[in-house]
Amino acid sequence: MAVNPREAATLPPQISAPPAAETAGEPVRQSSLWRDALHRYMRNKAAVGSAILFVAIVLYCFLIPGFWFIPGIWTSIFNIDPNDVQFTEARLPPSIEHPFGTDQFGRDLFTRVAAGGQISIGIGIVATFAILVVGVAYGALSGFIGGRTDNAMMRFLDALYGLPYLPFAILALAVIGYVNFWTMVIALTIASWFTAARIVRGQIITLKQNDYVRAAHAVGARWHRVLTRHLLPNTLGILIIAAFLDLPSVVLGEAFLSFIGLGISAPDASWGSLASEAREGYRNNPADLWIPCLFIAALVLASNFIADGLRDALDPRTKET
Amino acid sequence: MAAFIIRRIFWTIPVILLVILMIFLMMRQIEGNPFQRTQRAVPPQVQANLERKFNLDEPVWMQYLLYVKGVATLDLGPSLIARDRDVMDIIKEHFPRSVKLGILAFFWAILFGVPAGIIAALKPNTPYDYVLMFGSSIGFALPSFFIATLLIYYFALKVNLFPTNGWPLGFWDIDSRVVLPSLALGLFPMAYFARLTRGSMLETMQQDYVRTARAKGLRWKSIVTRHVFRNSLIPVVTATAPLFGLIITGTFIIEVIFSIPGIGRYFVSSVSARDYSVVMGITVLTSIIIILMNLMVDIAYGFLDPRTRTSKS
Amino acid sequence: MGLLDVTNLKTHFFTGEGVVQAVDGVSFSVEKGRTLGIVGESGCGKSVTALSIMGLIPKPPAKIVDGSVVFDGQELTTLGERQLEDVRGKHIAMIFQDPMTSLNPTFKISTQITETLDRHFDMPKGAARKRAVELLEEVGIPRAAERLDDYPHQFSGGMRQRVMIAIGLSCNPKLLIADEPTTALDVTIQAQILDLLEKLREDHQMAMIIITHDMGVIAEAADDVAVMYAGQIVEQAPVLELFDHPEHPYTEALLGALPQLEGDGIREGRLTAIPGRPPDLVNPSEACRFAPRCPYHGDDSCATRPQELREVRPNHLVRSAHPTSERGRAREPVTS
Repeated sequence: MAVNPREAATLPPQISAPPAAETAGEPVRQSSLWRDALHRYMRNKAAVGSAILFVAIVLYCFLIPGFWFIPGIWTSIFNIDPNDVQFTEARLPPSIEHPFGTDQFGRDLFTRVAAGGQISIGIGIVATFAILVVGVAYGALSGFIGGRTDNAMMRFLDALYGLPYLPFAILALAVIGYVNFWTMVIALTIASWFTAARIVRGQIITLKQNDYVRAAHAVGARWHRVLTRHLLPNTLGILIIAAFLDLPSVVLGEAFLSFIGLGISAPDASWGSLASEAREGYRNNPADLWIPCLFIAALVLASNFIADGLRDALDPRTKET
Repeated sequence: MAAFIIRRIFWTIPVILLVILMIFLMMRQIEGNPFQRTQRAVPPQVQANLERKFNLDEPVWMQYLLYVKGVATLDLGPSLIARDRDVMDIIKEHFPRSVKLGILAFFWAILFGVPAGIIAALKPNTPYDYVLMFGSSIGFALPSFFIATLLIYYFALKVNLFPTNGWPLGFWDIDSRVVLPSLALGLFPMAYFARLTRGSMLETMQQDYVRTARAKGLRWKSIVTRHVFRNSLIPVVTATAPLFGLIITGTFIIEVIFSIPGIGRYFVSSVSARDYSVVMGITVLTSIIIILMNLMVDIAYGFLDPRTRTSKS
Repeated sequence: MGLLDVTNLKTHFFTGEGVVQAVDGVSFSVEKGRTLGIVGESGCGKSVTALSIMGLIPKPPAKIVDGSVVFDGQELTTLGERQLEDVRGKHIAMIFQDPMTSLNPTFKISTQITETLDRHFDMPKGAARKRAVELLEEVGIPRAAERLDDYPHQFSGGMRQRVMIAIGLSCNPKLLIADEPTTALDVTIQAQILDLLEKLREDHQMAMIIITHDMGVIAEAADDVAVMYAGQIVEQAPVLELFDHPEHPYTEALLGALPQLEGDGIREGRLTAIPGRPPDLVNPSEACRFAPRCPYHGDDSCATRPQELREVRPNHLVRSAHPTSERGRAREPVTS
């Protein structure tokens, strides 16, 4: 920091320059910013733990039952089909072959919950991605163009905010006509993209006023260059945080819909439909309900802590204590 | 201040119209919906009735306008399944029960959530803080249907404290049947409020003007109750609107699980039964409620934060 | 005995990364009716010193580990919070750097003034409002009576700082501490604010401590000066004495960096910069802390032996092995 304002002009360049663009037209130098953020993130124990938990859950869901061309670990070793009904094996207590036991139809819970997770998390990830894409497109455009168009686009968003989440998603599904992985994604995306749009637009508007943007304009950079090379990279941080906040809400939304029967339904597995199935037999088989719900909770909590950690890491001024 | 309020109210009207339009257009896209003159296996007099009631011989934009007029005059058309009942009657019967559920849930949330957040903020990093925040994390992450099922299991089967079925039908009737459902619904908002209040207060307490207040020699208690509270409550108040939306969404689930004869459960069954006019009517209703809630929160925000009053909305 | 006597004050911050010794043995006195200027770069501990006097350091990580602060005969470091609250605002007032964030945006400025009057004098609302208008007029806010019920964001930066000063004066404190009062303001407004402070100090016979990193402000406003570096005072003298005969190499460097536009000190060419950075205060050296950056430190022991504050000229203390007066024997600055 400057010793004295009059000295600042000649202080040797050991003092590190701020990570914003040094010269107009240059892309934002991102290496030091991200590395610093990673450092700060690593110091937050809850965030690191949550990240590990998150990755563990994802690995569990995709590697245990197999995904695409990757054979499942459990299904290969023990030759289990999660959808295979075998009454002779019903309600077995936990064992090595069935770490979570079996349900009332004799299906291995361990692989079944994992397979369900694949669907739930899959919907979550794809929908979150779609939300961000749509949100960024809409919000960036609106914020960048500004003026009357921005006003009108935001009014439209205000209207969308008035639509209740679940009924809207239900309506969207009804419009599409049938429920499967992809229609769920579409419906949930339609019901949730506006928060991302608003965040992006807010960020773009704040960034637009920065001097380096004006400098870029002054040098004659075209609007799309300014947008892609200056404004969007700086919204990346916010977007990642938003992603980790949208993911749990989509997963919960899907769980809710499936639970009341309007989403993925049995025998297809998603965590919500598993919970729904387990509901009647709860008295005898509490584990059938507990386990998928705990996974949902774990994913939601982990995502939230990761988002908190990212927020602290990327903007250390907003520390809590 | 008055100008601010009038401006906000003024802007709500096109928003409501736009929302109704979107719902209207969406409904028309659903396959087999009765709002188009398609092949539908309905007895001819029902069909004629439908056409009359929904003005199906008019052009689309006219249908929309007539529907809006209907909304304004509280006439949402007849139910397609319950042949002798109007959507409005159904709403009038079921809606108050859901409102009661929602308000009770909200009470839980504010009564326990906000004080929990305040305590946690005033004693940060102490066991109070850790316990309260741990509890709020649980309430936040566990899906409400799970909590609901747990509550039913434990309080109906293990400990027979609260009934798990039934619902006092009169609006002002409250008995022990309301406890479990409202608690199940209110747990998430409670956790949300707790974390939000804590975070907001902690952030406010670090502000420069709190340091100035201390430098002026004001008593700490008075600094907290005057300076800190007012500024911390702003984000909490703004969160009320989306939380209310969440509560509305949540009533759907809770009503289904606890078999409460409210508007949410009716909506879910209407979707399965393809009672489209009811579905549309309920969606429009909930939308208008949410928009009005947003309006009220905006106005409250104007009271709390003088900076928004003088700037353009 | 001055109005305020600070003796060997040590304030440390106990953080996860170690103990930051922000203020490490600072002593000075402020006399009634005089202005002490504390100058130094960011991070040297000047603000923490002021906050420690008021007891406003954040108590969990920070702690006054040693030293005494005696104000008007009373020891402040041992007072409980409630007693400190009685001293703050009423006998010692403090104003801060950024008036926008230092005023509560959701309260009218009338409230922010009257609440202090109410707190310390139990003044009823009518009388307090009247006094508030008087104060605002005294600090030079035009149409004070009309603007009394405005909010902070409706004032300009300079006006807001005047409001802060009005709040500081409201209870007629004996000592006013101003922490970088002009740093956040335009240069033209700076001069006005400094003039205002000087006039008020005379009218109210207050003592004042001005904290700044700007030698120009010191020249303008201070009677006595203490130069701080890395948590210690390295030079202390009356202001004219300091500017005419700077002793510590750091002070010389600070002055040497000032552009001179006229007079015989006129310089052309580059401004002198001080190479290097201030030391990390988690494990500061016991010896001279400026040594790594000092142009005069050679192979001698000044970098390994602790330096005490000693009087090298009348009324002029320095903490250095190579003060200007002792450098007469053609000692050239060591370049490297």
